[in-house]
Amino acid sequence: MTRLTPVAPVREAAGARPGSRIRRVLPGGVVAAVTLALPAFLDDSALTVYIFLGLAAMVTVGVSLLMGYAGQVSLGQGAFYAVGGYTAGILAVRGGPPLAGLLAAPVVAAAFAVVVGVPLLRLRGHHLAFATIATQLILLSLAGQLEFTGGDIGLQGIPRLGAGPYELGDASGYAYLTWAGVALVMLVTRNVIVSRPGRALRALATSETAAASSGVPVGRYKLVVFALSAAFAGLAGGIYAFYVGYVAPSSFPVLLSIEYIVMAVVGGLGTVWGAVVGAAAITLLVQGLNVIGTAPGMPSYAPSVLSYAVYAVVLIVVVLFLPGGLLPAVTARLRRER
Amino acid sequence: MREFLTYLVNGLAVGCGFALIASGLVAVHRVTGVVNFAQGMFAVVAGLSASWLLGVGLPHGVSEVAAVLIATMTGLLTGLIAIGRRGTTPQSSLIVTLGAGVLAYAVEIFVWGDQPRSFPGLPGSLTVAGVGVQRQHLLVIAATAVTFVLLSAFFGRTYLGKALSACASNPYAARVVGIDVTTMGLLAFAIGGLLGGVAGVLVTPLRPISFDSDVTLIVNGFAAAVFGALTRPVLALSGALLLGVAESLAAGYGYAAYQTEIALGLMLVIMVVQSTRRATVLEEST
Repeated sequence: MTRLTPVAPVREAAGARPGSRIRRVLPGGVVAAVTLALPAFLDDSALTVYIFLGLAAMVTVGVSLLMGYAGQVSLGQGAFYAVGGYTAGILAVRGGPPLAGLLAAPVVAAAFAVVVGVPLLRLRGHHLAFATIATQLILLSLAGQLEFTGGDIGLQGIPRLGAGPYELGDASGYAYLTWAGVALVMLVTRNVIVSRPGRALRALATSETAAASSGVPVGRYKLVVFALSAAFAGLAGGIYAFYVGYVAPSSFPVLLSIEYIVMAVVGGLGTVWGAVVGAAAITLLVQGLNVIGTAPGMPSYAPSVLSYAVYAVVLIVVVLFLPGGLLPAVTARLRRER
Repeated sequence: MREFLTYLVNGLAVGCGFALIASGLVAVHRVTGVVNFAQGMFAVVAGLSASWLLGVGLPHGVSEVAAVLIATMTGLLTGLIAIGRRGTTPQSSLIVTLGAGVLAYAVEIFVWGDQPRSFPGLPGSLTVAGVGVQRQHLLVIAATAVTFVLLSAFFGRTYLGKALSACASNPYAARVVGIDVTTMGLLAFAIGGLLGGVAGVLVTPLRPISFDSDVTLIVNGFAAAVFGALTRPVLALSGALLLGVAESLAAGYGYAAYQTEIALGLMLVIMVVQSTRRATVLEEST
């Protein structure tokens, strides 16, 4: 099976040089500090963008893990986002404690991924891509018809997130929650990657046969990583449901899944930070174009035309000319100049 | 019984639309190894252009042919960006065609707006053996039959068609005997555009089409194509007809809301069953 990008190289052992550890940890620390400080300086509309950026990053880290490390293409990641959103929404609307809804979102999404993944992960390459997109279409169609999901109108009036007397009312609270989620997701992913199963994943991405003959439980690992990426998407979906207060089938179009692919590919498949960089780059770019598109004097179709065009052009240019993605290309150049 | 026959003809017509999309997918996949996600987009482009040209005042026939030509050009352009650059792997090309499909959204909204469009097909209906049949349905079925006959004649009887088949069965050997594999790939994309265009022009009078109809079209077309393992057009045709009839019967007997689930569920089952028959080693080495 031909692949989009070479499998991420096995990193040199941690702490090989005395100064290298600080150099590696420092940028991450700076980014974390900036992330924490940002909500204080942003107004409400900017906070909304910031929250959506974080949610997209959370899903994209999962996509990057699934595509870049395990070599499995999922064009239906939006389905797990939807499962998370609906799980949180249904539990909260029925009067369950919101916190339980938030915790249930990733669990149910992962469980759904396991149920779907057992048959579907037998498929490879474009078959898996279409199977996952079909799963999302089926799920959306079902959600549009069933009673308990609220049909096409969806679930409205999802209460605010809270525990006991505390209620998360303002946007900055959701921003902290979202970015805490991003940090958690990145930490889990990093630990998976550097572990023994992480190396096994990279092996099965290159050749399942070779991996299996070296004793890698191929089917089980693929399923676990599929469920893990679904859990990330489910967590993001849960936060989305509480923040927006409304979920419907139209909140999770197939295009959403394609956006996550664009973000993962642009940032660099198989890099944890690349997923965040990709999500940030695309979200900010689309947001910037949105500002231009909604400026007075622009035709009403301008925002959608601009955003579709930018998704498409960025995706095509990156796949053809920067197959490693943005982040690896930039870091490689920096390293060369140093 | 009469109802059943009506649903059957209806389903065959819808299935023929899927079959044309599927045959385009097969043509591109056989020659280049790429699964062309933009295949549904070609149909959308043709449907929208035909309705626009008719609105401008061109007569029937001319508009449809022009729309198919526009779709063919779109296919060629998609091919140029998907496989034009040397060393693009089929999986990268799949992602690029995905990008081409989204790019087409921008162009389509810019040119034709985001509302669904349609145009009248053949008016009236015939009564065959006591069953009322819309003429447009018959036209779709007849046109698909003609297209498949022409396709098989092209691939089996002409030099160019045989060169295309040679690329499909062994690209290396084809290059050794002097066939330009990239040009043949581009030609395959143009044929894909043509077939998609024919599908779009025929189906739009039956179901209004909008810029984002391509997802449904491509997923159904792919579902049909997997029947023939993406390489055999005739199996793809029978798969498409089965799919169309299943959807139409489901709709006719009161499960209209579950059309998508039935069609896609069928596709998933078939893919999973097929995959259990293939050995991983064989799949990875190809």
